[in-house]
Amino acid sequence: MQIHPIIVALRRHKAGTLLIALQIALTLAIVCNALFIIHQRLSHLSEPSGIDEANLFVVTNLWGEQYSTDEAAAKIQQDLAALRQLPGVDNVTPADSYPLRGGGWDNFITLKPEQVSMTTDASVYTGDEHFLRTLGVKLIAGRDFHADEVQNMGLRQNFVPPVTIISKALADKLYPNGDALGKPFYSMSDKPTTIIGIVERLHRADVSTWSAPYANESLIWPIRMAQPWGVFYIVHTKPGQLDEAMREAPKALYAENRMRMISSKDGVRSFAQIRHLAFESDRGMAVLMSIICVVLLAITGAGIVGLTSFWVGQRRRQIGVRRALGATHRDILHYFLTENFLISLAGVAIGVLLTFGLNLWLVERFEMQFLPLAYVLGGMVILLLLGQGAVFAPALRASRVPPVEATRPA
Amino acid sequence: MFAYYLQLGIRSLKRNPMLTTLMVMAIGFGVAASMITYSVFRAVSGNPIPDKSSQLFVPQIDSWGPQQNEMGEPPGAFSYIDAMAVIKAHQATRQTLLYPVMLSALPHDANSIPVSVNGYAVTGDFFPMFEVPFQYGNGWSASDDDNRAPDVVLTAEFNQRMFGGANTVGREITLSGHDYRIVGVAKHWDPSPRFYAVWSDSAFQDPPDFYVLLNRALDLKTDSSGRNSCRGNLTFAGWDQWLQSNCVWLMPWVELDTSSDVARYRRFLEGYAADQQHVGRFAWPANVRLRDVMAWLDQMKVVPPESRISMVVASCFFLICLVNTIGLLLAKFMRRAGEIGVRRALGATRHEIYAQYLVEAAAVGLAGGGLGLLLTAVGMSGVGLLFDADIAKLAHLDFSLVGLTLIVAIFATVAAAFYPAWRAAQVQPAWQLKSN
Amino acid sequence: MLKMTHLSKVYRTEVVETYALRDFNIDVKEGEFVAVTGPSGSGKTTFLTIAGLLETFTGGEYHLDGIEVSQLNDNARSKIRNEKIGFIFQAFNLIPDLNVFDNVEVPLRYRGMKAPERKERIMGALDRVGLASRAKHYPAELSGGQQQRVAIARALAGSPRLLLADEPTGNLDTQMARGVLELLEEIHREGATIVMVTHDPELAARAQRNVHIIDGQVVDLAEDPRFHTAYTAAAGQIRS
Repeated sequence: MQIHPIIVALRRHKAGTLLIALQIALTLAIVCNALFIIHQRLSHLSEPSGIDEANLFVVTNLWGEQYSTDEAAAKIQQDLAALRQLPGVDNVTPADSYPLRGGGWDNFITLKPEQVSMTTDASVYTGDEHFLRTLGVKLIAGRDFHADEVQNMGLRQNFVPPVTIISKALADKLYPNGDALGKPFYSMSDKPTTIIGIVERLHRADVSTWSAPYANESLIWPIRMAQPWGVFYIVHTKPGQLDEAMREAPKALYAENRMRMISSKDGVRSFAQIRHLAFESDRGMAVLMSIICVVLLAITGAGIVGLTSFWVGQRRRQIGVRRALGATHRDILHYFLTENFLISLAGVAIGVLLTFGLNLWLVERFEMQFLPLAYVLGGMVILLLLGQGAVFAPALRASRVPPVEATRPA
Repeated sequence: MFAYYLQLGIRSLKRNPMLTTLMVMAIGFGVAASMITYSVFRAVSGNPIPDKSSQLFVPQIDSWGPQQNEMGEPPGAFSYIDAMAVIKAHQATRQTLLYPVMLSALPHDANSIPVSVNGYAVTGDFFPMFEVPFQYGNGWSASDDDNRAPDVVLTAEFNQRMFGGANTVGREITLSGHDYRIVGVAKHWDPSPRFYAVWSDSAFQDPPDFYVLLNRALDLKTDSSGRNSCRGNLTFAGWDQWLQSNCVWLMPWVELDTSSDVARYRRFLEGYAADQQHVGRFAWPANVRLRDVMAWLDQMKVVPPESRISMVVASCFFLICLVNTIGLLLAKFMRRAGEIGVRRALGATRHEIYAQYLVEAAAVGLAGGGLGLLLTAVGMSGVGLLFDADIAKLAHLDFSLVGLTLIVAIFATVAAAFYPAWRAAQVQPAWQLKSN
Repeated sequence: MLKMTHLSKVYRTEVVETYALRDFNIDVKEGEFVAVTGPSGSGKTTFLTIAGLLETFTGGEYHLDGIEVSQLNDNARSKIRNEKIGFIFQAFNLIPDLNVFDNVEVPLRYRGMKAPERKERIMGALDRVGLASRAKHYPAELSGGQQQRVAIARALAGSPRLLLADEPTGNLDTQMARGVLELLEEIHREGATIVMVTHDPELAARAQRNVHIIDGQVVDLAEDPRFHTAYTAAAGQIRS
């Protein structure tokens, strides 16, 4: 409709127009980037781990005395037996790390022994022949470890077992043709290790951003960690018996041997708790960004309502004249909606530049990813709709200005 | 005049409660978001040892070489070999090595179960160079270090838990089955961020329980409970071979009092690295660093990106709130163009109109600051939901934050009012109230 | 052209009812130039706002160009205002944000006219009032007389059947007022129907016919004693 005269009139209200446009531009920049951050964080914290989280818990068992490798290995066997006796317990495995633990052991992986720069980086798990079954990891190729393949590893011992089970993500990275099974690789050693099994998915132990390029790249070595500090027991429970087993496990362990430390605060954790803790800052970030988005949109909307109301008040007489000259309710309503649409469009246009500017800065400073175009388009639609929604009430009020307003004395 | 302007301002604000509420809320939310995120940022980015931070340095030596170091940057800790060589050289006023350890302690009643305790294995200079305050006794001497004595310093908190806070200097304590002699009890001392161990530990975890003598801990093969980082093909198969490996895990610190000391120490590090190249241990030229506390915290990226991003986003949010306020103030002031014209006709100068409206804006700012303070207080109690628990507990609402909140709110609002007030002051004197 | 019979307009508040117009009758024929006079508060302006469909009325009938308008909805009334009526206000009521050209264009825009025709009509109307050279000026840059001539051009641009003028010279000095009046007379000679509200007897005298309103009713000047006192008093004030 009548776009030209609206633009002409706006030129006489530069400050107000500019302020609304600027506000919309800045809001677009923040909302787009915030929504993207929210999406990234939410997808990060809902990453599947590949294990049967619902029925798993972890006991952090620290030794009360400094044990030798053999002593520790023997104690672990006794503990495993004690835990397996619990009615709710299905399976147990000793480990020195677990998925989503946050940090842990990772190794550089190469395809040749003399290779200096790494092919990739893998999260390292040690596990016995019960590891896969206890965690509920799905083996999609090859076989599980045999009991006689599992070796004890003590303090600062370092050896590379001849066989390994790896995640599909790691297999695909090393052998993109899908023929990884039976192939070797090297892991900070000149001795190879051969892939005897591939599991569908096994999340890394760490959840930090540096490892994003190596997502889900994990390997398991047939090792029973017998460290002087202690061990993690990963326990799989029968359905519905998680809470009960979590209460009974430390009691059974203390009954077996008193010289150990299982923190009453966080010594026994279900995987729900582990997941909650691992992604604490992601969730916080998502919550904070959501709050800021909502409040920001509300304030921008309210600001548009306020300024438009002022404009309507200022132009009552003008509106009356227009009505007298034949403008219908609808014409006046459209006038204000169109006016806001034009301002918003200008704001959104500037906003797109600001949005990409802010994103670029975040990419450079904080290793964030580039903003997908869909977010910008979505943000633009949100803000244009917000503008129209915010302006609707004052515009409606404007359209109700009676034509007789034109004859009121000045 | 100020009182009159304030009175006019408040009356005007009351006349447009909607517009006023909107402005106050915009300022309040904007300032609260900024202050909450700032309080967290302040907690994580502060100087943990302000009076000495420019005299304490972390030396770094590239023991991995250009192909395996971190993009040209030497590793952030020493291997055992380099650590021992550098500390024995005694080239700084004071120097220490440290690594985190986790031990068990058995409380004294007979039926008790052991508890896990955390601390650091350190050398004697640790205490004077970091200015650790003592409640009882003292740290240990260099000769104790050399004699590999079983010395331990307890923290006051741990001493309280274990011994009810008694003067335990001279008594023994059993940690992980080994006996140690208590030489001192340190008063509460927990610099945040924990600058001295950031390479290995989280910078914001619970305070330590004890400090044991490093050489003694090594003799007992007390493993590091922190980070251990290695490169290349690993050939060690036990503790002693591990000590000789390229794995880095010992965190060094030196105290250098003058800039010439710093320059001299840098030359020493370069000389040491060059010597290692000569003897064939390093196959690359010297690549060393010497960073003071704040530079080191920066290098270690101690401030979580979440804290920075949220502060930036919150500041942008505040900026938008201010743009919003400029618009609303403009609307509010210009709606009274007629009144301004009459005032001008009655003898008010431009300057006086300007002042009147700035005072009105300051009143809005004060109200916004009040609301912001309230929201900040509410937000602070919810900080635990937004940031890591270790970090969230550091953020708190203190007197300086209260003051800052109010000052920022008022100044920002007055700054936002400059343009609208200027526009108002431009209104020409008039004899009658006119709309349009 | 404009016929009101037994028309009334009542303003109601919670406590009182005020009759602005009561049993109001008027009949303006096509091509007439009628001046409506009366003292302040007599109902002149109310009459004009109702005549111009700016307001509704309470009772009676109003035929405009043969159409009974009381039953029309707001959109239809807007359309009639736009197509059949041209307004000339005492305070000109130009839109300050728009320049002369864009001001004259406003009613044509609402008529949905194509751009070339709009332009032709606007320039024609501005030519008619002698302001074609000021098309790009803003109202604030013009004198009062010029502004009123722009308002007249705006009223003429849509070729209305009826021109309603409310004290068209009230805000102008004598010389400017004369110019505006001559313009109106010229427009009338060309066949337009003009109804002009004024309380200036001199101005009223230039019209073909005078209608006098007192207390919301049309009265015969010669017969109503109320008029003599009120009207001569008001006229005397203005002259002195």
